[in-house]
Amino acid sequence: GPTSLPSAAPEDASVLQREQESRVALRERYLRSLLAMAGQPVSFTMYEKVSVTAVFGTSDIDVLNFQVSELQTPLGVQKEALLRCSDIIAYSFQL
Amino acid sequence: STGRSAQPPTEKPGERRMAEMKKLYGEGASKIQAMETTMQLSFDRNCDKKQPKYWPIIPLKL
Amino acid sequence: MTEWRKKTPLEWLSYVNKEVQVLAAEKHQFKGWVLTVDPVSANILLANPLDNGKVSVSAILGHAVQDVEVMNEADDEMKEKLERLFIPGESQTYSQ
Repeated sequence: GPTSLPSAAPEDASVLQREQESRVALRERYLRSLLAMAGQPVSFTMYEKVSVTAVFGTSDIDVLNFQVSELQTPLGVQKEALLRCSDIIAYSFQL
Repeated sequence: STGRSAQPPTEKPGERRMAEMKKLYGEGASKIQAMETTMQLSFDRNCDKKQPKYWPIIPLKL
Repeated sequence: MTEWRKKTPLEWLSYVNKEVQVLAAEKHQFKGWVLTVDPVSANILLANPLDNGKVSVSAILGHAVQDVEVMNEADDEMKEKLERLFIPGESQTYSQ
């Protein structure tokens, strides 16, 4: 491999900065949407044609699990539940 | 990953995470990290308190 | 299209304030104005203003996204409406 890394060209540095700024803006808006969802009824469209609704609680920061309450399943209500984001195709709520 | 020896980590996990956040988010890293920390705490607290179980029990998609 | 999850933040940002049609897993289709794309999960957040003044917000999970087609660009009025949805500091608090 190279003995020394080439120093970043100025345009690379500015691209990196623009990438970081974009990531901040995108992530902040998404995190705010999760906060806005807390306490709201949310409909989930899942794989295998499964649809459920629940009151949204919180998400872990890696967006792998949603903690919900009053989950209306085809077989009745589950008071407290965790949904795997890998099972979900889409979700929606109203603001 | 070849020939990597089992050395003890030289950094603390928190430091490594901040370094990664800084690389991803630059100037905005601390703001995003503050929001994420609050959110994760709230998730952990709710899971402790409510003991939610996975639904469905078996993942729909592997 | 490059796999949706592998796009750069700048590419995702270019979809914000555009009206898109999203093709997702199991032939689901969604249409709406892009509010944001989460750079961690690649989830796309869409807004659809309703007649009653409320806004329907949907997210398509990044792993389920198959194709995203841009239909329209928001005018200033729509942009302002979209930006107002999640205003920092107002009506929402970090702790619940």
